[in-house]
Amino acid sequence: MDNPIDFLSTAETGDIILYVAIAISLLLFVVFPTLAFIYSMLFARFHQGRSQKKLLQRESLVMQQLGKDNLSTLSKPVDGREIVQTGLVMSNITVSPSWWQLFLGTIRSIFGGNIVSYDKILAYGRSEVMQRLREQAIGEGWDEVVNVRVETSMVMNKTKGGNQNKRGTLEFLAYGTGIR
Amino acid sequence: MMTSNTETIPGFTITSSLGIVTGSTVRAKHIGKDILAGLKNIVGGELKAYTELLMEARTEALGRMMLDASQRGANAVVNVRFATSSVAGGAAELFAYGTGVTVVEG
Repeated sequence: MDNPIDFLSTAETGDIILYVAIAISLLLFVVFPTLAFIYSMLFARFHQGRSQKKLLQRESLVMQQLGKDNLSTLSKPVDGREIVQTGLVMSNITVSPSWWQLFLGTIRSIFGGNIVSYDKILAYGRSEVMQRLREQAIGEGWDEVVNVRVETSMVMNKTKGGNQNKRGTLEFLAYGTGIR
Repeated sequence: MMTSNTETIPGFTITSSLGIVTGSTVRAKHIGKDILAGLKNIVGGELKAYTELLMEARTEALGRMMLDASQRGANAVVNVRFATSSVAGGAAELFAYGTGVTVVEG
């Protein structure tokens, strides 16, 4: 070895890079997910509860304004009114359960039975999408929306491997024909 | 162009059916938005980035369907349906279809 000092210094730099890499990957793959999971466990209920409360307020506001629900699944309005114009109205929402809810759901699906945590998020998504359709219809000036259909689909799947829809992202679509 | 997801357009009479008209678009998620959505995923609830992306894509599919209809000489599309499917690696296909018709008032 003709230059031992030089060799030592390069070895040290290599070591430092290794330590930094280990620290970063620990932070990314261990510390962050753990913290996120704990956060999800503690605060997801608060975040979701807030949006649910807002939804209830908006629902009662529309009910006050119109006095009745302006959505209907029938293909014609019941009161037999004269229709001058029709058009398609649609609205959507993408929801996903929190990490904690996903975890609970996974545990639940071992034993089977009603998965309460998924129930909640699905019920929220569906009522939110219908509320949006109501507001959309009011905004576009339709008196009523007939023939309303609600569709559910899984989106943004990872189709590779056994990793199918790891996040459980669901899209709700509501559409109908606005009349006036 | 009038669109409806009912079989007839109230107040109008269908004079001829021009067959099925379709429009579709495939969208993949944006990586930056995907990371943000991934963070939002922790607490669950709505993922706004995806909601907007899908609505934008669906509007485009609907637009293409209407274009198809007008190229066939239709002035209305009845019985419009939507279909969503997941294709390869996080992309979604949004598909709109209906029957192109010509209508006259009365």
